[in-house]
Amino acid sequence: MNSDLTPEQAALAAEHALGVLEGEERAEAMRLSLSNPAFAARVAKWQGRLDPLSEGFDEVPPPNLWNAIEARLDDQPVDTNVRALRFWKTAAGLAGAVAASLAAIMVFNPFASPAPVAAPEQPAARPVIAQLAGADGTLLAANVNPQTGQLVIRAVALPKSDLTPELWVIPGDGVPRSLGLIARDDTTLVNLPEALRPLVIDGAMLAVSLENPQGAPHTAPSSTPIALGKISAI
Amino acid sequence: MPNDAIADARRAELCGLIDQVARGDRKALAAVYERTSAKVYGVCLRIARDREAADEILQDVYLKVWKRAARFDAGVASPITWLCAIARNTAIDWVRKHGAPALPPSGDAEEPGSDIGNAMEAMLADEGRALIFDCLETLAPNQQRAIRLAYFDGSTHTELAAIMQVPLGTMKSWIRRSLLQLRGCLEGE
Repeated sequence: MNSDLTPEQAALAAEHALGVLEGEERAEAMRLSLSNPAFAARVAKWQGRLDPLSEGFDEVPPPNLWNAIEARLDDQPVDTNVRALRFWKTAAGLAGAVAASLAAIMVFNPFASPAPVAAPEQPAARPVIAQLAGADGTLLAANVNPQTGQLVIRAVALPKSDLTPELWVIPGDGVPRSLGLIARDDTTLVNLPEALRPLVIDGAMLAVSLENPQGAPHTAPSSTPIALGKISAI
Repeated sequence: MPNDAIADARRAELCGLIDQVARGDRKALAAVYERTSAKVYGVCLRIARDREAADEILQDVYLKVWKRAARFDAGVASPITWLCAIARNTAIDWVRKHGAPALPPSGDAEEPGSDIGNAMEAMLADEGRALIFDCLETLAPNQQRAIRLAYFDGSTHTELAAIMQVPLGTMKSWIRRSLLQLRGCLEGE
C-alpha cells in the first residue's frame, strides 16, 4: 500500500483526515479520494487514528430538530436500499463460493485484444479488473481503465435467455447503479458516466443481471444477478 | 467495574439501534438522536461556530446516519465515535463550502486544553483514555495546540497560522511533523 502513494500524497492524506486543507489542496485531496483507492484507504486509516479524539468534544444541548429530520427521511429510500443491500450481499456470498470453485479454470488472459492500454504518460492510476462468476459456469471478465474512464467487459459464458445482460456497479453503500446493457456473446466497451466513475474502483462489486432491454439503463435490477465479481487493482 | 459495565451496555444498545436503523426503523433513529444529539451538536457547533449552521449540519448528520447505518461496523469504531466522525466531516465540509466563520479569539490557549480535561473525565468514566491523548502530550506545546485547534475547531492551515501568529509555511511543517510523530507514537515506533 505504501508504495502506491508519493510521500507528498501520503502527507496530504493525513492532512485531509485532520481537516486542515483548504482551496486547491483540499480539492486535490477530494479528487484523489475518489480516484485513488490507496489514497482513500490512507485517509480512512488516519481518520481511524484521529477519531478517538472526538471524546474531547463537549456535549451541547441541541434544539429539538427531530421532527425536521423525520420530515426529510422520506427522501431517503432506506428500506429499498437496505433490502437491495441484503439481497445483493446474499447473492455476492453465493457468487463468491462459485467463484472459488471456478478458480482453477480462471487462468485465461481476460483481455487479449480490445482492452484499452493505460496511457504511458499517466502511470499513477493502475488498471483494475474483475472476474464475474455465477452459477452453471456463467463467466464474464472486465477491465477498467481509470485514465480513460472506460470499462471493457467480455462475456465468456452466459446462460441462454431472451433477455439482455445489464451491468451494475455496487459500491460500498450496496445500491446497484446501472452501467448499461452489454453484449451477451461479445466484448462491450462501456464509457463510464462521469458521475459513476468514482464508484468503479478497487473493492466495489460488478454484477450482471438479465433485463428487458426496454427502459435501460434501469434504476434497479429486476432479478437476481447471474454473475458477480469484486473489482481489484492489478 | 460498574462504569465499564454501564458504558458497555450503552454501547451495545446504540449498536443495536443503529442496526435497526439500517433496516429502515425510524423509531430506532429517533432513539439514536435522543441518546447522541447533544454530543453530535457539540461537534457541529464547535466547528461551525454558528447556531443556525450547526442546526443545519445536525440534521444532515442524522440523514447521513439514516443512509449509512448499514455500513456501520461495530468492530471498527464505537458508535459514538462513528457518529462524531460523520458530524466532524459534515461540519468541516459545510464550513469549507460556506466560507470560514469568524476565527475563535486568538490567544485563548485555555479552551482546547480544558476540553482535553473534560475528555479525560468522560473517558475515565466511559471506555478508558484513548492512546492518542497520551501521544498528543508527547508533542511540543505549540504543535499540540495546533493539532487540537485543527481537530476540535476544524481550523485550516491559514487559520492556524493566523491564530498562532506564525508564517503559513511554518504551520504546515508543524502539522506535518506532528502527524508523523503521532503516527509513530500510536504505532509504538
